[in-house]
Amino acid sequence: MFEHVAADARMAVTAALEEARHRGDRRIGTEHLLLGVLHARELDPLGTLGLDLTRARAALDALDLAALAAVGIDVRGVERAPVPLSPKRTPFTSAARTTLRRAVGVARQQGGRRIRPAHLLLAILECAPPDPAAEVFRELAVDRAAVRTRLRPHAA
Amino acid sequence: MEETELGVRLRSHDPAVGLRAVGALHRLAEQVEAAAVARARQDGWSWEQIGDALGVSRQSVHSKHGK
Repeated sequence: MFEHVAADARMAVTAALEEARHRGDRRIGTEHLLLGVLHARELDPLGTLGLDLTRARAALDALDLAALAAVGIDVRGVERAPVPLSPKRTPFTSAARTTLRRAVGVARQQGGRRIRPAHLLLAILECAPPDPAAEVFRELAVDRAAVRTRLRPHAA
Repeated sequence: MEETELGVRLRSHDPAVGLRAVGALHRLAEQVEAAAVARARQDGWSWEQIGDALGVSRQSVHSKHGK
């Protein structure tokens, strides 16, 4: 699947793996693919639409803190650290695999032969709740249509 | 703690909230472990002592947290 992935989109997947491990997750999900793709410099302009790496990470943390509060756990003041990377295999969730396959389709539709970060993000934008990436978009109140429009020149 | 929208959803048995809480608990355990192991090493604990405290082998804690 990865032979048609452009170098920067490949880096996005590697970054997704690191984001997953540092958070202490055992699988690479769509939320990690989102964080990973936001590492790509060419997507920096999306910051003006409220979508960037720092804010997406903070949104995921906020969702976790709220979920923990909902089960009566208050982690304010608790010492936490990024989980060290390990050589352990980290598989994709089934939704992440579906999203990657969709990115291949998006690239093909745009007439591209290689998957660019914009193709991957367009595929992630299709995720619907309760998908974790969709929850991040909701938390950030991201206007998906505006993001799609902004991505168009990058996806061509 | 103030009543959150999520708290309300959880008590309304919204599975999305309960499932995220389980994931968040796992992540929290990993993050607290990473911080506590680093601090224990600073304080001179051996990998064996840390492994015993976590209920895992010296090797597994060292391969996970050793640099």
